[in-house]
Amino acid sequence: MGAPEGILCTKTHEYVYEKDGSYLVGITDYAVEQLGDIVFVELPEVGTELEKKEVFATIESVKAASEVYMPVSGKIVEINERLLNEPELINSDCYEEGWLIKVEPASLESDLEDAMEYEDYISDVEE
Amino acid sequence: MKRTFLYDEHLKLNAKMVDFCGWEMPIQYPDGIVAEHKAVRENCGLFDVSHMGEVFAEGEEAVFFLQHLVPQDISKLHEGHAVYCQMTDEQGGIIDDLIIYRLEEEKFLLIINAACIDNDFAWIEKNAQGYDVRVENKSEEYSMIALQGPKSSDVVEKSGIFKHMQPKFFSIIKTKIDGCDVFLSRTGYTGEDGFEILAKNEDISHLWKYLMEIGKEFSITPVGLGARDTLRLEAALLLYGQDMNKQTTPIEASLGWSVPEGKTADYNGRDVILSQLKNGVARKLVGLVMTDRAIPRHNCLIYKNGIRVGIVTSGSISPMLGVGIALGYVDTSKGLKTDDIVEIEIRGRFFKAKISRRPFVHKFYSK
Repeated sequence: MGAPEGILCTKTHEYVYEKDGSYLVGITDYAVEQLGDIVFVELPEVGTELEKKEVFATIESVKAASEVYMPVSGKIVEINERLLNEPELINSDCYEEGWLIKVEPASLESDLEDAMEYEDYISDVEE
Repeated sequence: MKRTFLYDEHLKLNAKMVDFCGWEMPIQYPDGIVAEHKAVRENCGLFDVSHMGEVFAEGEEAVFFLQHLVPQDISKLHEGHAVYCQMTDEQGGIIDDLIIYRLEEEKFLLIINAACIDNDFAWIEKNAQGYDVRVENKSEEYSMIALQGPKSSDVVEKSGIFKHMQPKFFSIIKTKIDGCDVFLSRTGYTGEDGFEILAKNEDISHLWKYLMEIGKEFSITPVGLGARDTLRLEAALLLYGQDMNKQTTPIEASLGWSVPEGKTADYNGRDVILSQLKNGVARKLVGLVMTDRAIPRHNCLIYKNGIRVGIVTSGSISPMLGVGIALGYVDTSKGLKTDDIVEIEIRGRFFKAKISRRPFVHKFYSK
């Protein structure tokens, strides 16, 4: 699964990228691979304003629950309601169908990693 | 970390390996836990359970020794049969749960949990003193495969053991599979019909590959510890160290069905256990099914009308039911009964769950 163009990632494996004027936030395919079968997703309420690094969602695999952190500060403008009944969309397509929330970012801070930096980071972690 | 003799097979199958009680074991294969789980409920799956321990007890007084070791009535166990039981201490606390197989009139096999082998064997040796019995820990010599699921019997038949020759539920036979000497028993930890195949270490990878090959037409799937856990939880089978330990008795763990009241022989913890059978216990293991959308996990607290009444010991999603299920202990003084609604605290919020009959998914044993 290829990462979309212009994607920015965190070291905690969330992504944000711009698509048709909105900013989509989700978890990277590396994170999905680590989690295994995703069976449950808890999403925030639309309108919530959160700081970068705050928990905005919980994703549960069969084995455990994992918290998901805001890659940027901003306001949640939409949630992917399909995930409530089809959490497996994250497994099958984490970047397109499996996005978690859309945000209105306060700013896109520059300490996020671009696709290449993130790949490097992952291979360092793997070693 | 220790590796089983099937380690290379797991790598070839691209398993994700994890540390389980000091053993490097497959948690899942590329299909994932849910697919592996469903494969066992619908067809059949193959598990490496070589990490489990094997202790043999042989001698004229082997029965008397085992009568002292467990609350179950081993005097009633016939040759070729098996029984689920617990080893208890003097206070009735559970040291481990195990299956005892009567291989011959005076020869027994005890299959014990991997994490407990050293501790169990020390306890077994201590308790064997004074009896004419020889106990041997042969865990290092034997490996074990579990073949579980409704098509398991077809796979075994394909190996040349016709169905009428196969051991019945909770029985064991000594036989050969593709030339390898095995103990073949009709037992498991999934709530499905199936077998456990005990063989010498040097034969196990051959047996694994052979069963994977002949099992193809029955859609056999390798299954890791992840699905093993969800399968046993749906079947409401307890996990030692999590759902029971030395601080719980078989009665508290709702395992009273494996404690025959009429057993006359003395055993460790008998006074406590008999008194609990007669007078009841302060807390008891129950099954819980979430009615709200949430997944309960180990150590989540259970409440009734805002008052804490218990704790979850095992929880997950049921891949077959699509809802959260759990085993947990509740105070018996609260008078909770089946179908009562309680609340479970999950990440600081309260979700409703129903006290439920066990197993959560109907068991399909072939008896």
